[in-house]
Amino acid sequence: MKRALVIGGTGFVGMNLVDALLERGHEVAVTYRKKSITVFVSKRDVELLPGDLDDPESLVAAMRGKDVVFLSGGHYPRYSLDRRGAIDAGVRGVRNACRAALEAGVGRLVYTSSIATLERLGDERLATEDDIPAAAPAESVYRATKWTMERELEFAREAGLDVVCVLPGGCVGPWDARMGTGGLLVGTVRAALPWMVDGLVNVVDVRDVARAHLRAAQLERPAQRYNVAGHILPLSELLERIVARYGGSLPPERLDAEQARARAEAEERAAAPQRGRVPMPRELVDIITWSQPVSSARALEDLDLEFTPLDDALDGAHAWFERFRYLPKTSAQPRRTP
Amino acid sequence: MKTAEERRTFIIHAIAEILEIEPEGIQGESQLREDLGMDSLASLELLSTISREMNVDLEMEEAMDIATVNDACVFVERHLEAGATGASASPA
Repeated sequence: MKRALVIGGTGFVGMNLVDALLERGHEVAVTYRKKSITVFVSKRDVELLPGDLDDPESLVAAMRGKDVVFLSGGHYPRYSLDRRGAIDAGVRGVRNACRAALEAGVGRLVYTSSIATLERLGDERLATEDDIPAAAPAESVYRATKWTMERELEFAREAGLDVVCVLPGGCVGPWDARMGTGGLLVGTVRAALPWMVDGLVNVVDVRDVARAHLRAAQLERPAQRYNVAGHILPLSELLERIVARYGGSLPPERLDAEQARARAEAEERAAAPQRGRVPMPRELVDIITWSQPVSSARALEDLDLEFTPLDDALDGAHAWFERFRYLPKTSAQPRRTP
Repeated sequence: MKTAEERRTFIIHAIAEILEIEPEGIQGESQLREDLGMDSLASLELLSTISREMNVDLEMEEAMDIATVNDACVFVERHLEAGATGASASPA
């Protein structure tokens, strides 16, 4: 691989992927849209190209001459209020990207999916890449959207596209401008989470996820899917660790799964008219209450991966959030977690 | 955008578009965070728009501490001048 295009290269996983590619001497191009946060990536030695998943011509133009395309910028609904709309938008974007890759003659497409596409096993087993639900999960718009988007890749494979999927857990680390899992860290340190629900979560350093993408692009005969789930622990333990390390406080109210889903949905309905953010999005509640531990054994072996320790991953995220004022700047070093 | 006044108008309209408010409600002395509710994400979106449309390389660490709309305009003008002369935009 020499020439790579990163769709979503101005985003969280994408920015870390751009840095991993540049470190290894690859030529990198990145697509951007009107609202993309380009200030960071524009300081790097990359080619910035206009590209929108709803504009197939822009995708073909951006992909021409590229050996590998990383699709790290799929549809990510802010709210879980419109199941049909979210699925349609997600599928349309993946379909357009795959058709463009076929038309442009791209050698391989590496797609950033999510462990949320996996089955809920309901016991203590770790889910593997083969545990795929037979139908889109009914109880979660986010999981249904991601599941359906990934299924769309099957049509592209049948048409001859070489596609590898990377399924990350909840990512933490630098360049998390739109705050996914990182919102839990910021919310806890700011003592701004009013409530929580507990469940097992899988947390991974985003730089490990970036490395996994790179290696998935380079393997001669990769598997179709790689879980890069990271560390498995209860959410309550993760938040306690954050408080012990950086300060803040645990959410004062603890809800059960059903209460949490109802509360998150009500808060999203209230926030939606102003496009506001909610402290605990329904999508996050769905992933926490899914509570499924996930095995990354295949990725660790095939992609020669080693997970960054959780405290180091959290430190990377915390430092970035301080640097860009998501958190007040302090001179204190993180306290060692016992 | 040839004049400072045109650039100021552009910045105010960019803030209004990102925050989904009317540009008429934005004053020079408006505090970006406290008065207008601009958070870190919105600040990064604004800086991205400014750097792309004005083709100016902004010092990000310093940019995150900008307090008012006037400060944002001064900050951009300083970077444009520094870009034209090849000097550093950071205050001495």
